[in-house]
Amino acid sequence: MESATATARASITATPSRAWSWLRRNALSIYAGLAVAYVLIPIAVIAVFSFADASANRDRLVFAINDGFTLKYWESAFSVPDLNNAMLTSIELAAVTTTIATAIGTLMAIALVRYRYFGRKTSNLLIILPMATPEIVIGAALLSMFLIYTVPLGFTSLLLAHVMFSISFVVVVVRSRLIGFDRSIEDAAADLGATPVETFRYVTLPLLAPAVIAGALLAFALSIDDFIISDFNHGTLETFPLYVFGAHLRGVPVQVNVLATMLFTLTVIAIILVLWQQRRADRMVAVRPEQEV
Amino acid sequence: MKKSARSAAALRRRLVPYVLLAPGAIWLTLFFVIPMYFMAEMSLRSGVPNTPEGFTFSWEFSNYAEALAGRGEQILRTFYYAGTATIIALLIAYPLAYAIALKVNPRWRLPLLFAVIAPFFTTYLIRTIAWETILYDESPIVDVLKVLTLVPENGRVLDTGGAVIAGLTYNFLPFMVLPIYASLERVDTSLIEAGKDLYASARQTFLRVTLPLTMPGVVAGVLLTFIPAYGDYINAEFLGGANNTMIGNKIQSTYLEESNYPEAAALSFLMMAAVVIVVLVYIRLAGTEAFVGSEDEA
Amino acid sequence: MSSNRKLRALALALMALAATLVLAACGDDDGVGGGTDDEVPVAQGGTASGEVLISNWPGYVDPGANGTIAEFEQQSGVQTEYKEDVNDNVVFFNKLKPQLDQGDSGGRSLFVVTDWMAKRMYDLGYLQEINHADLPTVFENILPQFEESTTDPERKFSIPWQGGQTGIFVDTTEAPEIESVSDLFDPKYKGKVTMLTEMRDTVTLILQSEGINPDEATKEDWLAAIDKLREARDSGQIRRFTGNEYTEDLTSGNIVAAIGWSGDSSLIGREGVEWRRPTDGCDLFFDQAVIPIGAPNTAAALEFLNFAYTPENAADITEYVQYVTPVEGVQEILAQRDPKLANDPLIFPSEAEIADCSEDPDPPGSAEEVAEVDEAFQEVVSG
Repeated sequence: MESATATARASITATPSRAWSWLRRNALSIYAGLAVAYVLIPIAVIAVFSFADASANRDRLVFAINDGFTLKYWESAFSVPDLNNAMLTSIELAAVTTTIATAIGTLMAIALVRYRYFGRKTSNLLIILPMATPEIVIGAALLSMFLIYTVPLGFTSLLLAHVMFSISFVVVVVRSRLIGFDRSIEDAAADLGATPVETFRYVTLPLLAPAVIAGALLAFALSIDDFIISDFNHGTLETFPLYVFGAHLRGVPVQVNVLATMLFTLTVIAIILVLWQQRRADRMVAVRPEQEV
Repeated sequence: MKKSARSAAALRRRLVPYVLLAPGAIWLTLFFVIPMYFMAEMSLRSGVPNTPEGFTFSWEFSNYAEALAGRGEQILRTFYYAGTATIIALLIAYPLAYAIALKVNPRWRLPLLFAVIAPFFTTYLIRTIAWETILYDESPIVDVLKVLTLVPENGRVLDTGGAVIAGLTYNFLPFMVLPIYASLERVDTSLIEAGKDLYASARQTFLRVTLPLTMPGVVAGVLLTFIPAYGDYINAEFLGGANNTMIGNKIQSTYLEESNYPEAAALSFLMMAAVVIVVLVYIRLAGTEAFVGSEDEA
Repeated sequence: MSSNRKLRALALALMALAATLVLAACGDDDGVGGGTDDEVPVAQGGTASGEVLISNWPGYVDPGANGTIAEFEQQSGVQTEYKEDVNDNVVFFNKLKPQLDQGDSGGRSLFVVTDWMAKRMYDLGYLQEINHADLPTVFENILPQFEESTTDPERKFSIPWQGGQTGIFVDTTEAPEIESVSDLFDPKYKGKVTMLTEMRDTVTLILQSEGINPDEATKEDWLAAIDKLREARDSGQIRRFTGNEYTEDLTSGNIVAAIGWSGDSSLIGREGVEWRRPTDGCDLFFDQAVIPIGAPNTAAALEFLNFAYTPENAADITEYVQYVTPVEGVQEILAQRDPKLANDPLIFPSEAEIADCSEDPDPPGSAEEVAEVDEAFQEVVSG
């Protein structure tokens, strides 16, 4: 009987501390949620303002929603030709840039981390310098060179520039994962008769994949984002940021927000699909019976 | 026969790093190093802007002195903004990366990570303009901040140094999160377990085990954040006022408003030098292994 | 191995040196960043056909399917691409400059910049001259006061597009008493005022507010005015320096007054904000259409100008843009369509009103002295 009351009393006094300990245990996850929310605030704002009625302001974005909401800019999302072209250009440019830069950067990272070779310190420096250089310097310097060697200003010049500044970032991201990479797994593969190329393809690369993907994402984002370097080297070809900057001086058309929200949503959907695919692939691998190597 | 095959294989092996390195090295040389040469050459020219004669090469080292004149306050301000933004970003990013890598259900990892990077896909300018929209004087958010007395009653958020720092922090946060996450993710959790088994508190485990193991990621993140923040001018232009300019603004205006290319080039090189020095000092402090890593890898 | 290494290091250094010398030889050694000294070409006239690319300021032409561009395309058969990528004179200039140095206009046949920039470009050899015979409609309809200009006395290279006055926008609900440029320096409005990044607008108005005629001011006068500006910036009086973005600051209530351009009223979405001509000054600007060197299809560009100077079309433009038109007959046409516009003194200022206005003057002196003033101003505006 005593023990029962004692247990009851203990459980009553335990409840607040249990809640408290739940809080402490999940504090980090809660924090993560808040941080992600913070990151997404501007996106939410952009999305909300894509519904703002700006007819009174020549259909240009307003800072306060005084006239209510409307769907009309979503209905006419593609009615600003300059904007459409700029957006398509940006996406195309980013896709090609990402492909090239990720490949080159990953290879470079492997060389830098795993091999001793003549010129290693120099190549290290070569990676760091573009990141330490103000974009405006890179942009202006590139332009001077392009003109002297008559490289056509447009998609080509932008691509060359974008890949250039993306490589370093891919290298740094992949490298930070390569350092301290557990080589014993690769040694095991070699012991089991795999050639270096096979080891790379079936062991190293999959384990490296998260970093490579992170690097690729970074390259894509950097390319879509880029304004300063693009401003110097684009000739008359407009990318999305270039269009927005120009438009911003006299009021951004609301369709800009619409397209930005669309771009964001599509990216999210694409990522979700990729993740879902990967999960399916993982599950299939788990189910498949052990195969002979 | 065997010997030549072996030496052929050995030769191939020695060439491997060069082959791996070649595409990147060539690309960077052609489109970074060589343009830098042209920029260096430009910084030693002299002349008057906007005249038909233009600028001619004349070993004009005085451009560097002139570029530096009166920049002191702005340089300090730039360091302050970029440095503060980096520190805040680190404080925000590390727990976030930790939570994603080690705390949450693994199936949520990639989605959360993508959620952090997703804003990047709306372009830098739009994000910054969004903050301009959020922080304008009469916005509800500013009102809330005033109620919380984080902002004085007759003060403002937009067009202040604080807004610039907030913008820099926000815009470069993914640069901090990703590398830290990458290195956290491959931390062997059994090491953390071992720490706990040896009666280390959570804090001790973190400080003595986790943090040192993730230093490469932290170093990478700090550098990837600080350096572009240092050279940035967009945040200052959109979110800052007349007294919140950074060195990037000065370079932009010297180049694009004054057309004084030699001085702009000189200032750019000086800026680069300052950053490289900071980076080198930082690497020295954090230990070369942390960044360059693998003298023992090869 | 060590000596092998040293040898390799030496080889690398020698290669780098050789490369540098080769590049130095390849590069253009004299006059980078300058202009061209070649003889100035004259734009070719002829029948307009094909395609044409025009660059202009945003909001400077009536848009849409019934707009001037669309009508021009229909009437002339010329496929017209119209880009609104001139957001700032100097930014545009610098972006195009390296190409213009090579004789390439980036595909543009025509663009519009403010008069002082047109003059600068002409002096640097970046513009083609225009044959008056190719522009019959233009010179038939141009208002007499625009037949000449201080920057282009014989209209050799620039044709006026639209123009206006630089003055002050005032939020009459918050600060109705602001009437002059001096008022903008009143500490009562600290942090609630913006000024333009355009030197020839801002400093000209300051000089006038100090009682100095900008057309006669000395370099020291300009530098003193810039000092006054710097003090105002340091004290926090001036919230920021803007291009066109002051319209946003006014719309959102961040400021109560701004130096701004008269035709921008339609861009301000806040009730009670009006443009005022300062009691202590007056500054005019006029944007000019110019034909750059290397322009393709100049015939089409010239034809476009003729088209824009037809009173009906010019009225369409002015009705939308609401800046000052250089075309005769527009006022009468607008009197039928919208009498309020036709009587708007900002769009149709009388001779007397603009008699003692300055016209975006350059600082005095040699190119070097102008650069000195420019540098001082830039230091204030961008740190």
